[in-house]
Amino acid sequence: MSDPQPKSVSRFEANLLRILRFFLKQVPAEQALRLVHDRMDRPKCLNAVAVELVRDSLAKGCVLYLVRAGAWKRDRFLRGGEPKFGRLWERSPVERLTLSFSKHALDFLIWVTTARAKDERPVWQTDDKNLTVADRLLFFLAYEAMRSDPDLAAALRTSATFGENALIWLAHPNDFAGEKPPPVPSFDVWLTEPGSFVLEALQPVLEHRWLEIERTKGQIGDWAQLGQQGLVQGRVIDAFTRAVDAAGRRDLVRFLLAVMSRVLATPDMAPTFWTGGLQGSGPPRLADRLETQRNALALLRHMGRLREWERAARRSSYMDEDYAANKFWLGEWERFGPTPTPGREDRETFSVFADRAERVLQQLEPLRIG
Amino acid sequence: MSRAYRIRVKESISQDLSASDEVCSDLEILEILPGDQMADLLAGELQGRGFEEKDGKLVRSQDGVTVAVDPKSGEVSVKAEKEEHVDLETEKEGWGYDDVGPRGQQIRRQLSEQAKAELERRTQRQQERLQGEATEKLEGVMDEVRKDLNDAVNSVTREALKRKAAQLGQIKEMTEDPEAGSLTIKVEV
Repeated sequence: MSDPQPKSVSRFEANLLRILRFFLKQVPAEQALRLVHDRMDRPKCLNAVAVELVRDSLAKGCVLYLVRAGAWKRDRFLRGGEPKFGRLWERSPVERLTLSFSKHALDFLIWVTTARAKDERPVWQTDDKNLTVADRLLFFLAYEAMRSDPDLAAALRTSATFGENALIWLAHPNDFAGEKPPPVPSFDVWLTEPGSFVLEALQPVLEHRWLEIERTKGQIGDWAQLGQQGLVQGRVIDAFTRAVDAAGRRDLVRFLLAVMSRVLATPDMAPTFWTGGLQGSGPPRLADRLETQRNALALLRHMGRLREWERAARRSSYMDEDYAANKFWLGEWERFGPTPTPGREDRETFSVFADRAERVLQQLEPLRIG
Repeated sequence: MSRAYRIRVKESISQDLSASDEVCSDLEILEILPGDQMADLLAGELQGRGFEEKDGKLVRSQDGVTVAVDPKSGEVSVKAEKEEHVDLETEKEGWGYDDVGPRGQQIRRQLSEQAKAELERRTQRQQERLQGEATEKLEGVMDEVRKDLNDAVNSVTREALKRKAAQLGQIKEMTEDPEAGSLTIKVEV
């Protein structure tokens, strides 16, 4: 039996497909980024073969990305307030995991192939209300792929489609830091199906990003930069934890527990881990210096909310509606505690890290009272 | 032939400068008794230490440093303020080659602008100096304020423990070691 004939597409269509596969992490940046930077004449339409290939790439590529990111992991997440174990497709019926792309996905791909995205103004955008979760996931992946070029990333953020994509904010809060950071967009779309499935799959990705953020803070020398980044990080965590709480999806902050348990693994952590890189004496006012340092510890400051959840969960009784979810949270609290010491019967919980965070925060306070 | 002549322009500024620095924090008060009772105890303790009630907060001002405590929420702020009145004067000098007319006016205007810019720079320097002094003042009192508030919180905790113990039963014995900061209460229930 002979191999099927390779499908034939125009140069424009070939570039578009290459860019798409670059977004889906299937083509290296060196091969695709120059295509994003080049300008091409927009054809009147794409031929059916190209559209079919785009559809196929989106369908397979996004799913493959999510599977590799973390959907493959056998883990526990909440379903209707009850924990459910398994891989993502075992936790929910496959028909509910469907991602559907709107015409905006193809529209954006044509634009990014046609325009020199870095210089083009206005950057492509569309009415947010028409976007599906799959569209937003594609824009997140496109942003991730292109953010290695800071000018290009800055250009994309001028578009509401990217600048108001809460997933981009959650994964890259520092990109939105500035003198007047815009408000954090709503996470609602990511906390209901199928957006919540995406967040479940992306837990390892988010953990990696936030770990990187925390570990590199100590290398920042500029007071204003550290203060601004910390401020945005704090706002993002605040908005996200509030939203997951309201949606009854505390399980989706698992990546924060994982990050904190790794950052605070050493018992004698000091604020200098986060602020040690600051150069010079900083702003003249003590209030401003303190604000910068407090912002740098944004993640630790939000440990309090997670602890409140733990305390509330301990008070929860069998008769409570959210008893199962509370038990689940206590399970998470134990799971992310320190590695058990051999020979020790009682297992330490995440409270160990919460205490450490509190001690670090206290060290920063010039009015350490109480 | 034009005649050279000297042009002098004087500018002065009279301004009230003010600078402040502030640190806010929270008192950690153990809820031994209900919140409102703890707040009353704290308010009483602070009043004994020279604080006065103002708009629901207990405030003490001393040498330009104001400490304000909200006994209900435990919020505390320490603010240092400095004020100063400055009178600055400067004179700029230039040369003109026309006795009267638009050229002379232009030079005067330029000299006046230079003088104003210099006054602004000097005012800015004074402002920065004043700001530095306010911050220094705040940093200087911080240890003392911390110790004072710490003592107040400890005192409130002790008193609350005594009252709680009295609620539990009859106090049989009470030993207090201020050095070690320990309080032992034996209660017969």
